[in-house]
Amino acid sequence: MSRSTARAVLIPLASVAIVFLVWALIIRLFDVQPFVAPSPLEALEAVRADWSILGPLALKTLAETVYGFVAGAVLGFVLAVLMSQSRTVRDLVYPVLVGSQAVPIIAIAAPLVILLGFGILPKIVIVAWIVFFPVAVSVLDGLARVDGDLLALARALGGSRWRVFRVIRLPATVGPLFSGLKIGATYAVTGAVIGELVASTGGSLAGYQRQANSSLDTAAVWGSTLLMTAIGIGWFLLVIGLERLATPWRTRSTRRRLGFGAPRRTTTPPGDAP
Amino acid sequence: MAATTPKLVVEGASRAFDGAPALAPTTLAVAAGEFVSLVGPSGCGKSTLFNVVSGLLEPDAGRVLLDGADVTGRPGAVGYMLQKDLLAPWRTVLGNIVLGAALTRGVTAADRAEAAALAERHGLGGYLDHYPHALSGGMRQRVALLRTLATGRDLLLLDEPFGALDAQTRLGMQRWLLEVRDQTGSTVLFITHDVDEAIFLSDRILVMGPRPGAIVDELAVDLPRPRTLAMATDPTAVEAKRRILATLHGEAAA
Repeated sequence: MSRSTARAVLIPLASVAIVFLVWALIIRLFDVQPFVAPSPLEALEAVRADWSILGPLALKTLAETVYGFVAGAVLGFVLAVLMSQSRTVRDLVYPVLVGSQAVPIIAIAAPLVILLGFGILPKIVIVAWIVFFPVAVSVLDGLARVDGDLLALARALGGSRWRVFRVIRLPATVGPLFSGLKIGATYAVTGAVIGELVASTGGSLAGYQRQANSSLDTAAVWGSTLLMTAIGIGWFLLVIGLERLATPWRTRSTRRRLGFGAPRRTTTPPGDAP
Repeated sequence: MAATTPKLVVEGASRAFDGAPALAPTTLAVAAGEFVSLVGPSGCGKSTLFNVVSGLLEPDAGRVLLDGADVTGRPGAVGYMLQKDLLAPWRTVLGNIVLGAALTRGVTAADRAEAAALAERHGLGGYLDHYPHALSGGMRQRVALLRTLATGRDLLLLDEPFGALDAQTRLGMQRWLLEVRDQTGSTVLFITHDVDEAIFLSDRILVMGPRPGAIVDELAVDLPRPRTLAMATDPTAVEAKRRILATLHGEAAA
């Protein structure tokens, strides 16, 4: 492991450790009783003890998160592209876009469950509802910010409208797309859990937590919350990983070459500084 | 020149924006293989003329002829390069050089091989896989020029391509440009406000007056090629500079 990789991994781990340490200290210093709140170790132990139940439930929440996230991302991206192509479409869609986010998600969740049933569908819709907005706004912004001179150059080189879109505008949205996806990634799990809470059946992470809550099993309540958080963080990290793969020009000076052998050349070019 | 069709002819092209004239009716001709510079004060309509020639802007009146064919308002016929390098940050050096092909018909293996050979010939062979952000300003402008050359168009429109570079790098780039042109035989219409640069590079210089721009003087630079730095103090160069500056300042004072 290189020095910089070690830094990139160890420092975030240290920050997690600090959060747990402060939590443990508060429990210890204020002598908080287990039925009020558990120590981090007790919460983690509760997750381990019930893992045979919690594992599959976590996978289910993860699936809701992922499906909803992908659906929301695609919807947001397509909307942004359509809006960038026509002023009429933009003026027509933008109020709906903003309005959709003014609706309290927790309030719309119940009607959605009535409408779509107790299965996975309402959860996917809620997650997508949350995720599509930052994606649409970021991508629309990215499309609007493409350098006008670059577009003029592309036309001067003989590019048709479609080619200019595909070769210049679309690749230029990748960066903004990931800005939107990262915001969406942190909220996506919240959406899935809201859907699970409203549907209020057993067989979900939120249902498990609600049951534990009513039996004052605080270790299980906090433990399942930790699990939800872990799903959110895991998903966020995955999106960051995808971003690094999708935008190599941001972190690397040369293209990744598949196959054997060293990269062609890694020296800094002569001349003035970049 | 009378016998052969000029590479480029601009015939009485003019353009106004919102009723304010930016370019007075302008006529000029550039012979095949000729290096012609346009110098003038800023805001004199150089870039408007440039956009008319590149086809991005429809003139209010007049025509643009390329090899005798009318290309007025039709982009895609000439090579084009600005002060900003306008490299796509997500494309490697090679990917940027083949941008013209990507924009018109899709990049083939032959395009890539040709672009790699072009880069190799002009000193960028070691940087094919680099992303633009990893290159210096001078290197980026080289890539931008190779991108223009790779389109295969033999008329290059260069709008202050070295304007953003420091003096040292600029000098290197000017020599490099002349080398490249000697090898390709391209015709160049070069816009600059740097009189020394125009004299060092050009066969002929057109001087534009203040807005609305029109060509007010024209002079041939009778210096042998290849050009050397020592020629900057040659009496021909000094006289050309004196005359251009007098024209520019006389116009500015009027």
